[in-house]
Amino acid sequence: MINILLNDEAVTVAVGTSLTQVLERQTIALNGVALVLNAEVVPRSRWSHIMCQHDDKLEVFSVVAGG
Amino acid sequence: MALTDQAFIQYSRQILLADVGEHGQNIFSQSHVLIIGVGGLGNLAAQYLAAAGVGQITLVDGDTIERSNLPRQLLFSVEDLGSNKAQVAAEKLMQAYPDSHINSLQHYLTLDNAPEIFNARQQFSLLLDCSDNFSTRQLINQLAIEHQVTLVSASAANFQGQLLSVNQQLRPDTGCYHCLYPSDMGVSQSCQTVGVLGPMVGTLASMQALMSLNLLLSLNAKADQRQVSGRQTQVDDQPLLGQLYRFDGAKFTWRQAKLTRDPDCLVCSA
Repeated sequence: MINILLNDEAVTVAVGTSLTQVLERQTIALNGVALVLNAEVVPRSRWSHIMCQHDDKLEVFSVVAGG
Repeated sequence: MALTDQAFIQYSRQILLADVGEHGQNIFSQSHVLIIGVGGLGNLAAQYLAAAGVGQITLVDGDTIERSNLPRQLLFSVEDLGSNKAQVAAEKLMQAYPDSHINSLQHYLTLDNAPEIFNARQQFSLLLDCSDNFSTRQLINQLAIEHQVTLVSASAANFQGQLLSVNQQLRPDTGCYHCLYPSDMGVSQSCQTVGVLGPMVGTLASMQALMSLNLLLSLNAKADQRQVSGRQTQVDDQPLLGQLYRFDGAKFTWRQAKLTRDPDCLVCSA
């Protein structure tokens, strides 16, 4: 198991867990959020290809469209 | 072009800045900024740019002024209720800042009327997304790419604000708005549904205006360098381009992240 930070909260995931799987386990709708991994945006098409590493910092957030 | 004595006095505090100077003030006065949306963001962003001496601003909005707009759309007052936002803002800004010529297009931006705005006679220095809905934001992104204009996009709702700037020619590696937010995303936050405080929108509008003035200076400096060297170079010294800034107005925290191009993006990678 490895430890990551998801929106500043510690989360433990299995080795080999993809970004997509992290969101699914948190029951976060994949088409409702954007994702930043270690201060870099990861486009949605890449989420299933990227595996979590120890101490990764994930930020998940919604689009804000108002103005 | 030498500044008039009056202009030198009026803009003296910004001319004092080493990064602005008379040269930078001339860049402002020769710039043309297109602003889509004249709500909370567009009101203040347009006012700051006009006040800074930006020579030409085009405002686009088909909406009319409602009473619920007044707490955050500070150019408007009760007497303006029912009037078009772009028209009223243009009139008031030109009265207050006669150095700035403000055009108003009193309709919403659509794919059909975009050619009227983006035509051969208009060369925009920057495109500011101050709109209030996701589909217009996607259209603005598409037009910015098609017409090779730097996009400065701000948004605010509830206590969340977001700001980014992208340019496909200068920083293709950082992608576009659609790479970050694909058009099939579910959108839950708008000011109409979740509410917003005036200063929350104003904070993002101020940051958007500040980013825009910085970009006008740095992009022009880069263009000058390219003219001298005679070659097109990727801009790797534009710290503002290709960054996403997120502000939490309840916790007062800013977060920054580098944008990344989506190789499968239907808009910028097509």
